[in-house]
Amino acid sequence: MSTERRERGVALARAARAGNTLALHDLLDHLTPYVARVCEPIALADGPDATQEALVAVFTSLRTLKDPQALYGWVRAIAVREAVRVARRAARARPATELADVPQPGDPQLAADIADVLARLSPDHRAVLVLRDVEGLDEDAAAALLAIPPGTAKSRLSRARSSFRKAWSA
Amino acid sequence: MMYAVDAVTRLRIMAAAVPGARVVERVLPAPLEAVWAVMGDLEGGFGDFQPDMRRVRVLRVSGDRVEVLASSRHGFRARLRGHLQPGWCWLQSRFLIIGMAAAPEPGGGTRVALTGGVRIPARAAIVPLGTRRELERAAVRLEALVTSPPGVHTESKRGRS
Repeated sequence: MSTERRERGVALARAARAGNTLALHDLLDHLTPYVARVCEPIALADGPDATQEALVAVFTSLRTLKDPQALYGWVRAIAVREAVRVARRAARARPATELADVPQPGDPQLAADIADVLARLSPDHRAVLVLRDVEGLDEDAAAALLAIPPGTAKSRLSRARSSFRKAWSA
Repeated sequence: MMYAVDAVTRLRIMAAAVPGARVVERVLPAPLEAVWAVMGDLEGGFGDFQPDMRRVRVLRVSGDRVEVLASSRHGFRARLRGHLQPGWCWLQSRFLIIGMAAAPEPGGGTRVALTGGVRIPARAAIVPLGTRRELERAAVRLEALVTSPPGVHTESKRGRS
């Protein structure tokens, strides 16, 4: 994200917190694509639901954001949390295949399909993958955001990346 | 602009950030275009279904930005600024917040959502007293306008003023 765009978001958050609902309106436009970008790779088909629930959570607690400069990290944490929650809820309703089942050599059609590999990862694995490889957080920051030990984040990431490597080399 | 969320959901999100705001929703048996022809007509249909509006005059339009002067039945005047586009309207003045949304309902018809009310001056907050009742009244009037033949609409407006 460009510095200019980031600063615009921070300025809108500051104005919205000061009581300007038109700034709130523009902030919603501004944050929607960012939240969708975090939620969709984690919640997959339930990405739109996750995006909506994350935005409701962000806007409900906007008053608690003490430092508008921290807007994006704060929004990202909420978006990841909501995406994992929505994806887990969906997974309970539609049990997914175990990660160990995929990808298998000799199954090139499935193995070549990134969406399929992603879908077979658990929401927690997808969350680590998004934070590390899409959002560019380091392991400690990703672990802190997900409230898990760094070692767990590392092993989840390793497992998720390994699934992709297998997928592409199948 | 394309949104990942529809207009009614956007209204719920906006209302989540406004303490005291209530959202009233209703599914009307008419297509979005017909519903918005009433809701989005600020100088016409809008003033007919919002219980406290006597007259609304559009002062300025630039893209989806709009500025209007509204007079209430109690003599108050408000200069509202905000956004108006098909299915979406958000306006604020120092003492008022008005939010309206409409989106096609998957099972047919149009879902409308209304929020807003008397604003705590210069804050993103609404005085919660009677807010839901006023919004419910507006929704009932809107439904009547959308579903009634044109002559009935004119009579109800005369009867109020």
